[in-house]
Amino acid sequence: MKSRHDWVIWIGFAAGLVLTFGLIVLPVLNGVWLSMHSAESFIATPHWVGFANYIKLFGNAEFWRATLNGVVYALVSVVLQLVLGVGFALVLNKSFPFRGIIRGLSILPYLLPTVVVGVTFQWMTDGSFGVITALTRSLGLGDIPWFESPSAAMASVILVSVWLWTPFVTVSCLAGMQSIPQALYEAAKVDGASNWSQFWHVTLPQLMHILSVVVLLRAIWMFNKFDIIWLLTKGGPLGATQTLPVLAYNKAFNLFDVGGGAAVATLGFILLSGIVAIYFRLTSEDRGK
Amino acid sequence: MSDKGDNRGVSRRTVLKAAGVAAAAGILQSPYVRAAKRELRLLHDQTTAESIKAMRDAAALYEKERGVKVIVDSVPSEELYPRILAGIRGGRPYDLTSIIFVAHMVSLAKEGQLVPVTSLINKYKWGKRILFPLDGVHYYFPWAYALCWLYYRKDLYAQLKLEPATNWNQYLENARKCMTTGASRRYGHTTPIGSNVATNWMTFGFMWAQGVTLFKDDWSLAINEPQVRKEAAAYLDFMSELYKVMPPGATQFGFASAMQQFGADQAAHAPYSGRMIEYLEQKAPNLADKYGIIPYPNSTGQRKAVNHGYKGILVYKTDMAEESMRFLEWWQEGPYIDFLHSAPLNYQPARLDIYDDPRWKADPLIKKHAEAVKTMRAFLSDDKLIIRSIDTEGPAPDLRPSKVFQSNVLAEMIQNRLLKNTPADACVDEAVTRMRQIIA
Repeated sequence: MKSRHDWVIWIGFAAGLVLTFGLIVLPVLNGVWLSMHSAESFIATPHWVGFANYIKLFGNAEFWRATLNGVVYALVSVVLQLVLGVGFALVLNKSFPFRGIIRGLSILPYLLPTVVVGVTFQWMTDGSFGVITALTRSLGLGDIPWFESPSAAMASVILVSVWLWTPFVTVSCLAGMQSIPQALYEAAKVDGASNWSQFWHVTLPQLMHILSVVVLLRAIWMFNKFDIIWLLTKGGPLGATQTLPVLAYNKAFNLFDVGGGAAVATLGFILLSGIVAIYFRLTSEDRGK
Repeated sequence: MSDKGDNRGVSRRTVLKAAGVAAAAGILQSPYVRAAKRELRLLHDQTTAESIKAMRDAAALYEKERGVKVIVDSVPSEELYPRILAGIRGGRPYDLTSIIFVAHMVSLAKEGQLVPVTSLINKYKWGKRILFPLDGVHYYFPWAYALCWLYYRKDLYAQLKLEPATNWNQYLENARKCMTTGASRRYGHTTPIGSNVATNWMTFGFMWAQGVTLFKDDWSLAINEPQVRKEAAAYLDFMSELYKVMPPGATQFGFASAMQQFGADQAAHAPYSGRMIEYLEQKAPNLADKYGIIPYPNSTGQRKAVNHGYKGILVYKTDMAEESMRFLEWWQEGPYIDFLHSAPLNYQPARLDIYDDPRWKADPLIKKHAEAVKTMRAFLSDDKLIIRSIDTEGPAPDLRPSKVFQSNVLAEMIQNRLLKNTPADACVDEAVTRMRQIIA
């Protein structure tokens, strides 16, 4: 039945479109436009340079390193989040005392503001006062160079990211597991399937739709992650944790190269769009089979 | 369910009312209305409660005396420039802002956003290297130095019969010896070495004392000259020795680390400005009368330096520019000293007449630490003392030194030497190559 207030729905729809266009499409287009200009700041008059910013980036080792850092950071942290997240979900899906409380606590890291986590981790690993430093010293492990070497810094940033965002995977998978019909497990048991077989042949296939979305979201979010890296290392030491978003920020706000920063952001966007397209293709082919 | 329930939906009248309110709010924010209301907007980056209060008190007093409202916004230093740009881009530029990099002033002046403050500058006598004119025109009004020198523990020196260091070997020796007394795990020296602003500000004093400069008068790289390269390499080798007496985790150290470690007896030597003394007074009063101040020495004891730092204000070309100038002049003649007193030892006056002002000198902390204040003042008149910073290098204010600062080229030069044990010459080579790329 047509309501006399259908126009409210249309206004809501139109407002959504306008917001999407104004807050997503326009900024992206503006970013692409800026990437083809040279400007010292966001208030400077931009000068058209065509693809010069891109050409400069392709010849810049810092850009390639930031790309590689971003891929390593996203890949390793997503894989770890996935493995741990599914593992925790399996445990939390079992019956045990205080399960409700443990389930509540398991999501706690995801609820904490990133800045709190970043600062807390820095305090805990502080070379003079850190509680972890004191612990490792008392255990005879000495001082762990959390951020002192390039590889250690990357590992530390990944560690914090995994701790922070694994609960998202856990909660998603737990919700998925609760919707798997119990009859499938009972049938598997009748066929003599072990716990591992049940996980591999029942749980995992049933979770595949959720996992494909989780992997996609987490990969996008991790590749675009700026806050935790900036808080912990600012891209250092020696550029070891500088990813494309950090490089784009540095160029635009610190190095008076707004066009260069926009070019980095645009290339990151194109790269991510390409990866997402391939991912969609692969997952839809899998579903087709 | 009847259609009656749908009456809770948004009516046309509500939509029109909301649009009217939004339009009115927009108009009220417009520059025209703001000018008619005689309102100034000021943005600054001194975010301690005392400084915010001092600035707000000044704003209230100005409104009372002159009938012009002054809205004071405060943001952390790192957010200052993005906020300034956002204000301009959004059509609501601030009338006055503080500034952390001279390069920001250069960029804003080039875009025609600033009003000269030359007339006000000419009213006062200033300390060394604190004015940054562009072709003889002053846009930058300094209100404080943020110099950075070295603190040492007088009590430990007395106990170990040490003299304040005048060269690198002596400094290293003192630092090593200071690690041998006391029950706590004390390190000889601390300084940040990460890719951050703290490193760029605090860690290069020894290098400036050694005579390293970054740019020549034609903006070619002075650090690429054979003699300067040699001095830079010597500095890196000295730092690799000093690193051995530093606490672990130096890549993560920020501004506060040096104060915390020195105040907690975790480091016997630390760099900082007068804020260190304020920190000791508040958090480690037992050390508040046991510190000494020295400039950074060079390797031979022939030169000394302090790291440069500065705090200033810009006036923007808004419809309130004239009122902004009046406010700045008024502020300088009265509430400025109250503001300085909100961090009496950290806010080192840029105006030389302030050091003789009885009102300024009457602050209890300034009185108590008169010896330190005398040393701080002496830095400004010692012709032999080198005052340098990465971002103020070169023949004139420019974006290039700031790019070198912000890209952490020199911080990474140290990291290459200290963390990867790369030979000093190769570290300098890499820094020179990166600097060339950055300023190209």
